[in-house]
Amino acid sequence: MDRGGKRVYQMARTRKNAVPGKKTGSAYFRRYYQLYLLLLVPLLYLLIFKYIPMWYIMIAFKKYSIVSPVIDMKWAKNHGFEYFIKAFRSKDFIVALKNTITLNLLDLVCGFPVPIIFALVLNEIRMKRFKKAVQTITYMPHFLSWVVIYGLALQLFAPSTGYVNLLLSRMGWKTIDFLGTSRNWVRTYIGLGIWQSFGWNSIIYLAAIAGISPELYEAASVDGAGRFQKMWHITLPGIRSTIIVLLIMALGNIIGSGFDRPFALQNNLVMDRAEVIATYVYKAGIKGSQFSLTAAVGLFQSVVNVIFLLGANWLSRRFGERGIW
Amino acid sequence: MKKLLALVLAFVMLFSLAACVSPSVAPEPAAPEEQAEPEKEEAAEPAEEAEAEGEAEAADSELADGKFAETRHITVEIYDRNNDGGSDPTNNMYTEYIKNGMLEKHNVEVEFVAVPRWTEVDDINTHLAAGTAPDICVTYSYPTIKAYADMDAVINLRPFLDEYKAELPNLWNWLGETNLYWDSDPNDGTTWAIEAKLANMNRVITFVRKDWLDALGLEEPATKEQFHDMLVAFKENADTLLGDDADKIVPYSVSFDVGWRAATLIESFLDPDMSDKEYYVNGFDDRKLTQNGTKEAVRLLNEWYNEGLMWDDFALYGSGDTTEDDMMKAGYVGAFSHNWDYPWRGGDDSIAANLKRLVGEDAKYIAIDPFEDKNGGHNKFLAGPIDRKVFFPITNDEPLASMLYLDFISDPETIQFLQIGEEGVTHNVLDDGAIEIIAATGDAIQNSGMNIDYTITCNGLHLLTDELTNKSLAHTYAGIDPEDVLRANEIAKTDTRVGINVQAGDIEAEGGVGDTLSSKRDQVYDLAVKAAEGEFDAVWDEGIADYLSSGGQDIIDERTAAWDAVYSSENIR
Repeated sequence: MDRGGKRVYQMARTRKNAVPGKKTGSAYFRRYYQLYLLLLVPLLYLLIFKYIPMWYIMIAFKKYSIVSPVIDMKWAKNHGFEYFIKAFRSKDFIVALKNTITLNLLDLVCGFPVPIIFALVLNEIRMKRFKKAVQTITYMPHFLSWVVIYGLALQLFAPSTGYVNLLLSRMGWKTIDFLGTSRNWVRTYIGLGIWQSFGWNSIIYLAAIAGISPELYEAASVDGAGRFQKMWHITLPGIRSTIIVLLIMALGNIIGSGFDRPFALQNNLVMDRAEVIATYVYKAGIKGSQFSLTAAVGLFQSVVNVIFLLGANWLSRRFGERGIW
Repeated sequence: MKKLLALVLAFVMLFSLAACVSPSVAPEPAAPEEQAEPEKEEAAEPAEEAEAEGEAEAADSELADGKFAETRHITVEIYDRNNDGGSDPTNNMYTEYIKNGMLEKHNVEVEFVAVPRWTEVDDINTHLAAGTAPDICVTYSYPTIKAYADMDAVINLRPFLDEYKAELPNLWNWLGETNLYWDSDPNDGTTWAIEAKLANMNRVITFVRKDWLDALGLEEPATKEQFHDMLVAFKENADTLLGDDADKIVPYSVSFDVGWRAATLIESFLDPDMSDKEYYVNGFDDRKLTQNGTKEAVRLLNEWYNEGLMWDDFALYGSGDTTEDDMMKAGYVGAFSHNWDYPWRGGDDSIAANLKRLVGEDAKYIAIDPFEDKNGGHNKFLAGPIDRKVFFPITNDEPLASMLYLDFISDPETIQFLQIGEEGVTHNVLDDGAIEIIAATGDAIQNSGMNIDYTITCNGLHLLTDELTNKSLAHTYAGIDPEDVLRANEIAKTDTRVGINVQAGDIEAEGGVGDTLSSKRDQVYDLAVKAAEGEFDAVWDEGIADYLSSGGQDIIDERTAAWDAVYSSENIR
């Protein structure tokens, strides 16, 4: 299909060069309209669920009314920026912003290298069956919802009934309040995040590693390279572009965050660290009916994310990598 | 062939997508436009009442003997509690009764719309935005209704209440001006919601394991000190009380919602004679966080916590979690404070029933009143005779029929039937005439205690005569010793102070901050109870400062100013 398409395209081009006119384009289209028809579906999806809702960004600049269409709502004060000003004056928003950045940075620093290292290690395992078993086991947590994971965490880490603490106290050690103090909670949060996702995230690296030509390894062996040398000089450079792309995407999400992980894991004792923008938006906006305020916060979040994404992409190109586009 | 396949595939995808999308997307742009029209009419303030009156008169001519000439159709919100083995909340013995009654009496067709109980506000939000909100909506949260009203999404009920007073005898008899006008604006009378009546105002009391007291030869505690000694005795004798499970003992259990679950203790530290003004000014939060005296109550809880007398993990389990209930059911909890009838709620799955099954015949909780206030009484602040709030969204185009529904549902006979059902099916009549509730099956199962979800203008047992009500109250919990219930009822009604309605107008600072402040409040309580020895003051003060600077102080200031503007003295009563 691919090759055929190319040929026709070239044919169309040559013919187009020869006789400029509409006919060639329509011939091309007549032949391939089914493909475009198929493309129509995802395009429609994007249009309906991603582009049309953008119209409602206006809510951030207007006084929200649940019953009137966006266009009829009154403009907010201060040239429409009332809610942005309100957000930045709000202590809670600043705390949420700070927490979001802290948690995401920690996630990045602690969590980003883990799947890479794991993929490297897994790649060196020769026993196929063992390798498969390890892979399956490490993927599994990815399919658990955060609510379930919080349930597990309580079973393990609750101060009086958690198994880990029971074990500690039976061995005569002091129990640890894994979930009840801010400092420990952050560690638990990051740890659970890594545990939940590293297996899954390693898939893409394993795929990249599989794409490296075995001839390079053979040549290196002939030259007398050891395992670590091969890892360092062949495998890692081989997956460098994958790493960069994923890093850019991770940086693009530095002040975004999923909702369910912090929401499921947070509790009243640690809110000074656990309240992030997503949960703040939910509580102040959806539950407090302050839709304009939270639309403003969401818009701000998206804009900053885009800036980070572009910045990371620009940086990576400056350092000679491909970047995303 | 391939081409055909691709075509078919593409179209199937397209259509399935369209099918998924159309119901949710299509009405969105259309519906608000339709609503925008009447909304503008309603919102035009000076014209509002005249408009509604005009409407009212037009409708009046259609009413003959309280009956519409043509059948009207209204929709009514009903909580879906999703109980295991419950009945369909929109179609059971009780909905049939309501539907038939409304059709017969007023020629109005009633349709119930189920809304999940625990996400009701979110769901009503969605319904309102989509233009599909039920004609009669119910919620516990007045701030939510106020927020809708500010968006012109709610009908002003006042003109209908006043205009049709004669057509609504039951509603007026049952709720009266107190509840109907509770939320009325003191200046122009605008009424966005009417308040259901709390027939039984009992709030929080304290329970203790009777069999534990007996096993250790302890007296029922009558003071805080005795209560504390009792908790210590429970802890020290855990081996006797629980055997192998001794390490699971929780002498006094409080959940994350400290303000509710230690309410009697907290209230015993407040001044029973504080002025109405003081109570109102600090009263935005019904958990008493900013009242004078609360800090000392929490300090005591903090001491108990650090002595190991309380549940270690209380702050980790959120609302709706059953872990603490399960501990009570399994018999690990010595004492707790909660709603006055909490151990008996839930019929076969109640705490009392489980305790009997799992621990033994004589294992049970009894009500006590151990927290003395500074006058030696047992001060309990009650909220006022109000309960849920009923409002009509702007999409309601049958306000009169909806009002008649409220009248029908406030009819004493309707209330009695909904609460006790049919003889032999949901209740027995005892020798002295008292009603005893029995476990029902199938269609007759009440999804909520005494069908509170249907009796939207009434919370609490309310039978045709007061005498019958009082006699029957003790028998409303299947399988529970009536003596225990009467005792709890008596304690809950001891030294109470009923909340009054302060009509000082809207407090602007309260808009939209309710949820933020209540979660902050819980954080302050939880952190303070859990604070390490010697750090209590710092933790409490920091938490309160945060609470106040997040909007709490603005509310207090505005409430003070509003009070001073309306009332000349510190007390109303």
